[in-house]
Amino acid sequence: MSIMEYNGSAVVAMTGKECVAIAADRRLGAQAQTVSTDFQKVFQMGPKLFVGLPGLGTDAITVSQRLKFRLNMYTLREERDIEPKTMINLVSSFLYERRFGPYFVEPVVAGLDSKNQPYVASTDLIGCPMETSDFVVGGTSSEQLYGMCESLYKPDMAPDDLFETISQALMNAVDRDCLAGWGAIVHIIEKDKITTRELKARMD
Amino acid sequence: MSTGWMSQTAQPRAPQPQAGEDARTRTMRPIVTGTSVLGIKFDGGVAIAADTLGSYGSLARFREISRMCKVGNQTVVGGGGDVADFHMIRDLLNTLEIENREYEDEHDIKPQAVHTYLTRVLYNRRSQMNPLWNTVLVAGMQDGEPYLGYTDKLGVAYQESTLACGYGAYIALGPLLREVADKGEPITKDAAVALLQKCLKVLWYRDARSLNRFEIATVTAEGVDISAPQSSESDWGIASMVRGYE
Amino acid sequence: MSSTDKTVLASAGFHGDVLTLVKRIGVRMQNYEYQHRKPMSTPACAQMLATMLYGKRFFPYYTYNILAGLDADGKGCVFSYDPVGSYEREHYRAAGTASALLQPFLDNQARALARIPDYIGRKNQQGVVFEPISKERAMTIIKDVFTSAAERDIYTGDAVDIRIVTKDGLEEHRFPLRCD
Repeated sequence: MSIMEYNGSAVVAMTGKECVAIAADRRLGAQAQTVSTDFQKVFQMGPKLFVGLPGLGTDAITVSQRLKFRLNMYTLREERDIEPKTMINLVSSFLYERRFGPYFVEPVVAGLDSKNQPYVASTDLIGCPMETSDFVVGGTSSEQLYGMCESLYKPDMAPDDLFETISQALMNAVDRDCLAGWGAIVHIIEKDKITTRELKARMD
Repeated sequence: MSTGWMSQTAQPRAPQPQAGEDARTRTMRPIVTGTSVLGIKFDGGVAIAADTLGSYGSLARFREISRMCKVGNQTVVGGGGDVADFHMIRDLLNTLEIENREYEDEHDIKPQAVHTYLTRVLYNRRSQMNPLWNTVLVAGMQDGEPYLGYTDKLGVAYQESTLACGYGAYIALGPLLREVADKGEPITKDAAVALLQKCLKVLWYRDARSLNRFEIATVTAEGVDISAPQSSESDWGIASMVRGYE
Repeated sequence: MSSTDKTVLASAGFHGDVLTLVKRIGVRMQNYEYQHRKPMSTPACAQMLATMLYGKRFFPYYTYNILAGLDADGKGCVFSYDPVGSYEREHYRAAGTASALLQPFLDNQARALARIPDYIGRKNQQGVVFEPISKERAMTIIKDVFTSAAERDIYTGDAVDIRIVTKDGLEEHRFPLRCD
């Protein structure tokens, strides 16, 4: 079985009108056996910036810590918050350093830039970046998430609309994936606040 | 005891298949091959075209092989892929026609019947892990309407107003045949034949396994007409303008 | 896709197997009609398809099938299969290369019949009134899911054939998708 599917995961990020959302499931498994139902896959990397790390759980932890380190060095040097666009480049170059022995994660970046414009992007495990204007997905449920997002998404949603859409997309996607689910967490990023909600989901 | 040809004494023997084992291997590779076959429906009929080359790998081995055959009075079949396998298909269709003629009931085999029959033959052979390595086009008049069908070595089959196999499916089908077919109005027989000739010429320039000698068959209410092999003029003057391969 | 006036079969997968399977089903449905002087019912056809698929258990038809029609009570029924004949009656189902994209959306949006327990249909939604799904709603959902499938699944084609079975007969539609 693929190492990308060993622990199981689902992460999705979506843009709205002057807001952006990122959501992830909370399962950590060892193949079919569930080990944890409060595993963190989304990490805050700035006041208005989050990174989701679907893939191999142990690499998600390592990568989150090494990214945080590089981010701190950047912030110290530049004396300002990182732009989401810069963050995806940082992630990309970080992963490509391990081109022939990669970290098994597919990072998803979501945030508001300094002009409070929504930004989402993702990379593959060796750092090939993909920027989109609507949504990005990652993890074992990515096919299901693509199907949900492609049909539920519309541009310029208000924060509460965006929350409902991303939650429905994630929950219905993971319900059709044995390896992901067991609770979900959603972050809605607006220019003056961040709302974090834990979803009550099917635990099976 | 004699030591003649019926000797039962122990002799060195090649490894024999174990019980339940099947030592036969089947043809999974075409040997002498034909390339594209093209087909198009026109107003009141249908035309198919194929060149006359039988390639042996990259060698242009047989330069005047017919890859078409007539079945009954309203059907013609053209095949790409292994030429020997196509000859077997041709023999099967001949048998089919002869058996049908024995009834002497004026009934003629229709193209749809030929198409279905071929599809079943090819599907059964692939199911026995011993495919007939061909892509076949069936053209004819079915109850007064033009009929054009496709079948391949797996038993996949469908009908279309324009069809092609081999390199023709990449080079001729999209830009040339479909452009005409999608305009909506049916084209004349002469226009269809001219178009096929143009497609064959493009294939002759680009498909290294093709030949500028070909047959074109047309089927109309009047019956089947398979042309004698004809050659087309070609001009390689443009070759020097193609960059990147010199 | 092939159909009688009250049973429709949609088959994805290897087209050669699809053609063969459809032909064999056609023959057996004809014979059934000659022997029993009535057309085969959809649930009977569903059972037959299962045994036919299982009959090739060790050299399967590489096909993903969905059989739909009306049951003995005139209610709509959908039967879904795996390639070797495991089957189940359901209310909605997506099959084929885009099934993983479409099935969760159907879970979410396909509203089940009123008396059906709430563990199917309109998943993860609160305060939903369960009512029979209308023909128009079904058409809208189907068009939406195929539009989404055509966006992301390269094997989803340029158009979708839709067939609707009602007590009054069969309706056929063709809905174009993005042509790339």
